[in-house]
Amino acid sequence: MRSIVRCEINGEERELLAGGHETLLELLRDRAGLTGTKEGCSNGNCGSCTVLLDGAPVNACLVLAGEAAGARITTIEGVAQGGRLHPVQQAFIEHGGTQCGFCTPGLVLSAKALLDRAERPSEHEIRSAIAGNLCRCTGYDKVVEAVRAAASSMAAGRSNRERN
Amino acid sequence: VNAIDHDSDLKVVGRRLPRVDAGERVTGRALYPADFSRPGMVHGRIKRSTQAHARILSIDTTRAAALKGVVAVVTAADFPEIPLGTTIPSGETGQDLWVASLINMARDKVLWIGQPVAAVAAVDPHVAARALDLIEVSYEPLPPVMSIDAALAPDAPVVHAHLITKGLDQAPRSASNVGARTLIARGDVAAALASAAAVAEQRVVVDTAHQGYLEPQAVVAEAEATGFVTVWASTQGAFQTEMLVAGLLGLSQSRLKVVPLEIGGGFGGKILTHPEPVAVKLAQKSGRPVKIVLSRDEVMIGTGPAAAARIDMRIGADREGRLVAIDGRYYLDSGGIPGTPTTLLMQASAAPYQCENLRLEGFDVVTNKPRTEAYRGPGGIQAAFAVEQAIDMLAQKLDMDPLELRRRNAAVTGSLMPIGTRFPTIGLTTILDRVAAHPCWTEPLAKGAFPRGRGLAVGYWRGTSMTSACHVTVTGDGRPMVTMGAVDLSGTRTTMAQVAAEEFGLSIDDVHVSMGDTKSAGYSDAAAGSRVGRTMAAAVSEACRTAIEQLKARAAERLQCAPAEVHYAAGVFGTSKPGGASITIGELMEATLTEGAIVARGVSTRLPLGVEIGAHVCDVEVDTDTGQVTILRYTAFQDVGRALNPTAVEGQIEGSVAQGLGWALTEGFDFDAQGRLRNASLLDYRMPTALDLPPIDCVIIETPVPDVPYGVRGVGEVPIVPPAAAVANAIARAIGVRMTHMPMTPERVLRALKGDAFGRLA
Repeated sequence: MRSIVRCEINGEERELLAGGHETLLELLRDRAGLTGTKEGCSNGNCGSCTVLLDGAPVNACLVLAGEAAGARITTIEGVAQGGRLHPVQQAFIEHGGTQCGFCTPGLVLSAKALLDRAERPSEHEIRSAIAGNLCRCTGYDKVVEAVRAAASSMAAGRSNRERN
Repeated sequence: VNAIDHDSDLKVVGRRLPRVDAGERVTGRALYPADFSRPGMVHGRIKRSTQAHARILSIDTTRAAALKGVVAVVTAADFPEIPLGTTIPSGETGQDLWVASLINMARDKVLWIGQPVAAVAAVDPHVAARALDLIEVSYEPLPPVMSIDAALAPDAPVVHAHLITKGLDQAPRSASNVGARTLIARGDVAAALASAAAVAEQRVVVDTAHQGYLEPQAVVAEAEATGFVTVWASTQGAFQTEMLVAGLLGLSQSRLKVVPLEIGGGFGGKILTHPEPVAVKLAQKSGRPVKIVLSRDEVMIGTGPAAAARIDMRIGADREGRLVAIDGRYYLDSGGIPGTPTTLLMQASAAPYQCENLRLEGFDVVTNKPRTEAYRGPGGIQAAFAVEQAIDMLAQKLDMDPLELRRRNAAVTGSLMPIGTRFPTIGLTTILDRVAAHPCWTEPLAKGAFPRGRGLAVGYWRGTSMTSACHVTVTGDGRPMVTMGAVDLSGTRTTMAQVAAEEFGLSIDDVHVSMGDTKSAGYSDAAAGSRVGRTMAAAVSEACRTAIEQLKARAAERLQCAPAEVHYAAGVFGTSKPGGASITIGELMEATLTEGAIVARGVSTRLPLGVEIGAHVCDVEVDTDTGQVTILRYTAFQDVGRALNPTAVEGQIEGSVAQGLGWALTEGFDFDAQGRLRNASLLDYRMPTALDLPPIDCVIIETPVPDVPYGVRGVGEVPIVPPAAAVANAIARAIGVRMTHMPMTPERVLRALKGDAFGRLA
């Protein structure tokens, strides 16, 4: 049984055909062609498929495509705005937060979700926010460093805007 | 090639530059094979053995082939049978094609749960999965052999009826589960141990662990009507994949192209082929492009993890703490197919120290587990878990500082390696001096709620050199373009862009480095053995210098002087002739592009080894109620020769240590008696999360390797060697108990506290 799933993906209204057994991960990768979201385990254990569903990080492999109906979804392809990288992305680049890159989209979205709600997260808060994202290359230090740097640059951006 | 003076003023090499491909990675645009599609593509799935040890009586694919949407079915009958002993020339010792053929598809017998027995291609992955269920395989079960001890038992079922142990003084008359015995010996170990002032004796057991790359194996294969085949792969070696696929399918390498896409982690597990030959065969049979993406469950049971091991160590020292003998017996669990080499781990266990009397004896043992493959410094962590604990025990017996004991015995440049050759330049004593002066060693441990301890361990890894090739062209606006024959596994495009920019005296933004495919680049060995950065740097350096010479000849014409009078620096050609003009590389290329391409090659073979050596210090707290071990502080000291990019070097060290700590504490395959893997998910096979690890401090030491461009050493492998031993030594200092079974899970720590040395659950 296939049905149409209407949802907003990265700011665009989409109508996508999905089978009843299909997950949000399949909807994004196979139906919407957004292959930036990665499949590492299909079991909710690795976090490589993390996307934001109405602003909250979820494992797309654990959400049925049908459950995304009416939702606002942000994938890694929608994090940069108007050709400008998000501070989290910029910080991952500058601080060596990405190596093989397979876990990176999920990590960037978990970090973005954290910084959307916490301005000055502690190291423990950062580590907790990314604890659902396995990374096998970095040992996490440079990821934590990148998230901390992104928080600082976002705070600096805010105070600049307030001053102007 | 001339080595560059270590103190010379490098402008791009040695700087903390971001990865040149980081932008693609943080935006989701980096392309891995699972993300790649071809028109008309279908999806392959692999049917895997449900028996650990059984004869295949029949495989009936009739119903699967008849299912609507199925376009091809293959079994071992579709592949040529590869005779025992067939090898292909690749790497230092060649690849065993017979082994690769059984990893590809079982023939007559299945050797582990998860070994492929058939495969299908269908219009979508769900149809392919249904088709797998319709394939009927009939087995005659045989008793599985599930541990090294069980495999060595006198009445053990013999897994391979032909397997006569190689390397014994007298060839045995009957088959066994031991593939080979390897001996490295010098001096008189028995006499030295008999007269030693102290002897430490230790048996350790290490469980199978997995590389745990986040990207499951994935491939897209397409066969043209002409017979030409293209494979888009996630591989550590495009040429290795090409040779294996060609060998396993009986294809000519000239009719096959392997295109390396991004690789989502390999760590040794993506050198041998897994789904690639099957995908090609399905593509040939169906006439459609075929994609195969393994599930995580398939990765756990169907790819090549790291070898389980049992190691018996005896080390003796005299009253002054000088090592007089190292006696080690190493049993490596090869899994269902023999041929796992033992020599590298044997060397790793004795190489850091000077010792006259050695007896290192290795055995390659067959069991009914997945065939093991390389994992980052393969065997190193198992060896160090045994030897570095034994060294620590000696220090305790002699009442000597463990660092001082190691310093007294440290191998130095020119001392004898286990294999009998002299050590190339190494900096172990420098490393130990740095440890001795560092706060991680000098600061006293703070008191905690539970016992705490500090552990030290040294690690050695030989690494390798082999072959790397590249070529350099120059664009019409004067920008150097490098094409490498080796895969970028760990940031090679970035470090090679640094090398090319350095050689040309340009900015890193003015050069471009890409991975070639097997039809556009020169043969290079796999990205493995900590070799690519070092050897490709030599190749890139050579190619750039040759390209500059070619450009000088052109510049000479323009500058109206002899080529020998042309000098080049930072993108400008000038002449030493009085009143001579100058021309930029951009102007020169613009003016002369159509006169012919600048093409320069660089090939590096047999570069001197850049042996890796490091020392790690670890503080732990052991919860004596639960057995939980918490890492409080971790510092890794490593001699890297020269850091081409310190951020990348730290990234390698931190990631490598994290993998070592994972294996040390939580990662181990748990098989039941029937050979079923009980923890085949990333929930139950527990890799460290960001909350499990402390910050890992890196202390980079630079003792350049002579006669190697930029003096670079291998980096990525050795940091996985010491962690388990450092943790075990810290645990021993905390609670006075030696951990002999790895991973050192909470229940094993509790059992050890209660006096069961092997942490058995019985």
